[in-house]
Amino acid sequence: MSKDSFEPAPRVVVFLTYLGYGILMLFGYFRDFLRKSGVETTHSAIERKNMKDFVPLYQSFESFYKRNIYMRLRDCLNRPICSVPSAEFDISERVSDDGNWHLRLTGKTRRCVNLGSYNYLGFAENKGPCADAAAEALQQYGAGVCSTRQELGNYKIHEELEETTARFLGVEDAVTFGMGFATNSMNIPALMGGKGCLILSDELNHASLVLGARLCSTVIKVFKHNDIEDVERKLREAIINGQPRRQRAWRKILIIVEGIYSMEGSIIKLPDFIRLKKKYGAYLYLDEAHSVGALGETGRGVTEYWGVDPRDVDIMMGTFTKSFGAAGGYIAGSKRLINHLRAYSHSTTYACSMSAPVAQQVISSMKIIMGEDGTNRGQLRIKQLAANSKYFRQRLVEMGFMVYGNDDSPIVPLLMYMVPKIAAFSREMYEQNVGVVVVGYPATPLTETRARFCLSAAHTREMLDKVLDDISDVGDRLQLKYSLNSPVKAVSAEECYSQVDSLEHKA
Amino acid sequence: MGDGGTTYSGVNPNAVWLNSRGIWLSYVIAVTILHLVLLSIPFLNVAQAWTLTNVVHNIGNYIFLHMLKGTPWETNWDQGKSRLLTHWEQIDFGEQFTTTRKFLFLAPVILFILASFYTKYDPLHFIINLSTMLLVLIPKLPQLHGVRIFGINKY
Repeated sequence: MSKDSFEPAPRVVVFLTYLGYGILMLFGYFRDFLRKSGVETTHSAIERKNMKDFVPLYQSFESFYKRNIYMRLRDCLNRPICSVPSAEFDISERVSDDGNWHLRLTGKTRRCVNLGSYNYLGFAENKGPCADAAAEALQQYGAGVCSTRQELGNYKIHEELEETTARFLGVEDAVTFGMGFATNSMNIPALMGGKGCLILSDELNHASLVLGARLCSTVIKVFKHNDIEDVERKLREAIINGQPRRQRAWRKILIIVEGIYSMEGSIIKLPDFIRLKKKYGAYLYLDEAHSVGALGETGRGVTEYWGVDPRDVDIMMGTFTKSFGAAGGYIAGSKRLINHLRAYSHSTTYACSMSAPVAQQVISSMKIIMGEDGTNRGQLRIKQLAANSKYFRQRLVEMGFMVYGNDDSPIVPLLMYMVPKIAAFSREMYEQNVGVVVVGYPATPLTETRARFCLSAAHTREMLDKVLDDISDVGDRLQLKYSLNSPVKAVSAEECYSQVDSLEHKA
Repeated sequence: MGDGGTTYSGVNPNAVWLNSRGIWLSYVIAVTILHLVLLSIPFLNVAQAWTLTNVVHNIGNYIFLHMLKGTPWETNWDQGKSRLLTHWEQIDFGEQFTTTRKFLFLAPVILFILASFYTKYDPLHFIINLSTMLLVLIPKLPQLHGVRIFGINKY
């Protein structure tokens, strides 16, 4: 198993990042002064003149970041896409006349390589067996469901989907929901409602997990990212001290972690967490949104990656959005747990169930991955993804970029630190017809802005080579090659792709 | 991640960004650059440059830490509680005597000592340096956490 790597930034880079923020802030104040004195037009919402003596509705200082920093790089975000997001896609071009406050479409599109979509196994296709099966399901069931699971929205295809998911993961039963975010935020309250519970949550957990934890009336403690000693320390403190103010024992303790963290590309140290959970009697909630289908020899996720029995994880959660090319999420575990969720989850009670063609897409893609369609296309996709991830990451590290995360993860964050560089990188790559996702604050810490590449089984090696040349070129121009580690000549490309080539010859 | 200022979901970055790796060094370097810029102005002698560095640093410190309230980004997570707090009061979520607060308390003191030395303890410079230092140290006392004298800067 590879280790996660988080090389700290050189001090010069950190200083320059803060200096950049300082300069941006000073110019922000200057521009605000110009806007207030009328020299520059104000585009944001302002108070009406006759409401002057009322309590102000808009805190102009609170939108300082948005006005002066976010607006200037807004053209790199929310790009409209007008094709299926497979290995290549079409982006609609936009221009702005007033500094990104208003963007308008020009009508032209640009065909770009897709390095941002969560398309790990390449199932985002509009042709092929999955799309045909989904079209048939559309003919049979229609697009909408028109009811909740507990009323009249429980179709045969939903039961087939749940049975397939449970078989895929190797657990007793599963329940599925129409929306991945809502799977977390609506089901954690169903599990941890009631007083006297404790949630231990990783500091880099996704917003859906944070929201779900907040919606229960539990005490939430945050532990350092992937740090087993910190979890153990907090567990021991909690168990020894008991509940605050009452000093009674906790009713239950839940540790919420993710399989692959989407901003870091790090993989959770699952065997350690299972050992801890068994030792102290806590429960483990594993959010495999990015790792199911993407890790493991046969794509079963992070439990197969570590060789752990999936029944050791109490609650396995995942989404169908990333590796299966559909939408929605599931929770899998023991039959008792799933029966409880079927009755008590907010989603099954109030939210409409998954649309039938989407459910069929998941079923067909899962069958392909498991090999139940009689071919080895699923295995080929898994091996292609693994080879692509390893190759791409190693080439980036060789070039001297600062890359976080685990060697085996298909998410490759490239650190850029300074805010203007993310805008420059995104625009330069767009000129070279590569679509990348750049993230800054608030999705990442203030000084660790990055570009996040998501590899896919649909990428061919030629595409990746071309993209890597572009990245290297842009990286030289923008001086992004910060890594101080000596360039390590790792596994060669031929070795990365050897398994893929041997499988292709067998197919 | 080697960064004490990791902002996990739903936490005020203003409370933690001064704990990040490299920020103290950046602070010292910024003050040094300010001083070198002032030293290079031809009609200022050394004593005036040092006093000006001290005064500019203290005024900047006062404005950014004790005058501006709230955060430059939207505070959806705490329902506006930090809108009425100055940056100093937001640091480390209001916990007193943390290392960041000690560092920010010491910075004006060290600058005052250096400025006094380089101005050769001249009385006029002493008064200016002392008054700006007190201006910036008194609001940092834990007794004055959340205190608004005469209601100035309350909302």
